[in-house]
Amino acid sequence: MGEVYLPILILLALGAAFAAFSVTAPLLIGPRKYNRALLDSYECGIDPTPQPVGGGRFPVKYYLTAMLFIVFDIEIVFLYPFAVAFDQLRLFGLIEMVLFIVTLLVVYGYVWRRGGLEWDY
Amino acid sequence: MNPENYLVLSTVLFSLGAVGVLVRRNAIVVFMCVELMLNACNLAFVTFARMHGTLDGQVIAFFVMVVAAAEVVVGLAIVMTIFRTRRSASVDEANLLKY
Amino acid sequence: MSALLAADLAPFPVPSIEYSAISPLIAIFGAAVLGVLVEALLPRTARRPVQLVLTFGALAVAFGLVIWQRDTRATVLEGAVTIDGPTLFLQGTIIALAFVAALVMAERRVDVAGDDFAPRASALPGSDYERDLTRLGWLQTEVWPLLLFSIGGMVLFPASGDLLTMFIALEVLSLPLYLLTGMARRRRLLSQEASLKYFVLGAFSSALFLYGVALLYGFAGTVSLSGIAEALTDDAQQYGLVLGGTALVAIGLLFKIGASPFHQWTPDVYQGAPTSVTGFMAACTKVAAFGALLKVLFVALGGVRWDWAPMLWVIAVLTMVVGSIVAITQTDMKRMLAYSAVAQAGFVLVGVVAASPDGMAGTLVYLVAYGFASVGAFAVVTLVRDATGEATHLSQWAGLGKRSPLVAGVFALFLLAFAGIPLTSGFIGKFAVFTAGVASGAVALVVIAVVASAIAAFFYIRVILLMFFHDPAPDGPAVVVPSSMTTIAIAVTVAVTIVVGVIPQPLLALISDAGVFVR
Repeated sequence: MGEVYLPILILLALGAAFAAFSVTAPLLIGPRKYNRALLDSYECGIDPTPQPVGGGRFPVKYYLTAMLFIVFDIEIVFLYPFAVAFDQLRLFGLIEMVLFIVTLLVVYGYVWRRGGLEWDY
Repeated sequence: MNPENYLVLSTVLFSLGAVGVLVRRNAIVVFMCVELMLNACNLAFVTFARMHGTLDGQVIAFFVMVVAAAEVVVGLAIVMTIFRTRRSASVDEANLLKY
Repeated sequence: MSALLAADLAPFPVPSIEYSAISPLIAIFGAAVLGVLVEALLPRTARRPVQLVLTFGALAVAFGLVIWQRDTRATVLEGAVTIDGPTLFLQGTIIALAFVAALVMAERRVDVAGDDFAPRASALPGSDYERDLTRLGWLQTEVWPLLLFSIGGMVLFPASGDLLTMFIALEVLSLPLYLLTGMARRRRLLSQEASLKYFVLGAFSSALFLYGVALLYGFAGTVSLSGIAEALTDDAQQYGLVLGGTALVAIGLLFKIGASPFHQWTPDVYQGAPTSVTGFMAACTKVAAFGALLKVLFVALGGVRWDWAPMLWVIAVLTMVVGSIVAITQTDMKRMLAYSAVAQAGFVLVGVVAASPDGMAGTLVYLVAYGFASVGAFAVVTLVRDATGEATHLSQWAGLGKRSPLVAGVFALFLLAFAGIPLTSGFIGKFAVFTAGVASGAVALVVIAVVASAIAAFFYIRVILLMFFHDPAPDGPAVVVPSSMTTIAIAVTVAVTIVVGVIPQPLLALISDAGVFVR
């Protein structure tokens, strides 16, 4: 009976391990630069009280980054249904999903090479 | 709860969005109204899926979400270029093309 | 363990994908994705040649694949796509028209600064940065993948077997067009404004379409076209859902067609967009959208024909009359052609209202005739230029026939085809839809259509008179000699316009072989 819960425990352990790894790895290998923006709330470079830069408007690059995030993020909705049925779809499902993700990777490559991910562009 | 109430809600949201597109002047707000219309469609799809006991409507909602995201990106790109040219996001001030 | 989680779900069959039936789509979309990769990886100067090879190669391959599939009559991809005679005919037409229109888009010689597109769409119009880019000869080569994505959406549009696929195809064809509209090299502000208008109205109409799909889904419990047709034969309890859904879906499609009263975007967008893109839009979007309209109305909603036919009757009359009359008052060549496109859409609708196999065949003939003539007409518009770009004011075209009889003669041929003069393809198209209209009993509609054609002929002939019987202005525009690209495009469109007009039998035979939509 107990072994039914084993995968859940494993998942929990994996999650905890990933969280611990994500916190410790930057401490070990990341650059140690601290400035005001980094130490701010949310680390996003804006003061926590609404104070748009330059009096009234947010720089357009926030929109750009947000848009890119949405586009790549929303594709996840297709991965969830796939994850539920992947063992029944077998190789077919895997190939189709790989094709789907490769297409997304092409777009990602385009955005990357054209400087869409550079903050100071 | 009667699922038909959700249909009423979806109709109301859709109409609000449609009216918004027609009367609001700021391109960004017009945009949000279009998104409201699409999400009203989603609500209708999911409600009908529940009423019919089929999954189709829920699947369609996924696709609509992706399309809506793509549409936002294209639309914001257009609004951004226009804004940079004219320093304004009002659809009324885009008035070079006339009869 | 996984069995335990999946136990409460029904067994999930592996879907089947008939790759051969959708091979034209795969060729076009595959090339489009490769085109994005080219943009990402290749150096700037290498991009244009590679993109051109990809674009024209993919279109040629796709056309070949459509011909290879000519005998396919099947419902594939679990019902998402249906391939049949009319669908294949429409797909072939769209691909051929797109090929010719792309030749005009690839032209680099008529504009001294480069091609028809801004050196960089994101550069501020009139800025030093933009001037520098123009001087360096930068080109926005992203137009080619965008074009391919749009063509892919158009090829999928009439092949859709369910309304979800149709919605996705609608968006895939529209979104790149919104962007292409805003990319004109000359008159940047006008172009960007057209892009915004097209986008706002396009997004609005596709939302209406989607709500219509939701209502039809609520009625039938499925979005597949054949499923809706079946549900219509079963019960008529929730008739309100059917009527509302039909109206909203039809509005979404009529918007793309540019039928009145949903035509408001047409003149602005046709005028603002780069002229080569206008030619592409005017021809291909219309063919694809009419294909989708025919499919929805005949396959899914044939059971409520007596409800939608009167509605379409009114819209057809309105479209013909508004298009023809407003076109007379226009002073800009591109706007005049835009209103002429509206009027032409009305004439095609006569074939749809006829709601018979003959009507459908007539619609297809008309679409071929109109499509090629309109790509050709807009290609000619790109050639008449002065120092600031294209000379689109009607007065600037005065006396063009004396200065450049060949170009003016070709343009006159396209105008005569639009007007439906015998021995041009336009006559065959008009004849086919009008006879189908009379045969189905819509005599009043055909009478109105004939009157509208006469009004339309007035302004077409007026332009011809202007070109040949007026003296040219001393500082008038010059006709630029294009490279072989535009020359080939114009030659092909002229040939189709004349050949279909003189010996229409092969085309008519092809269409009658195509038969009707499968369920």
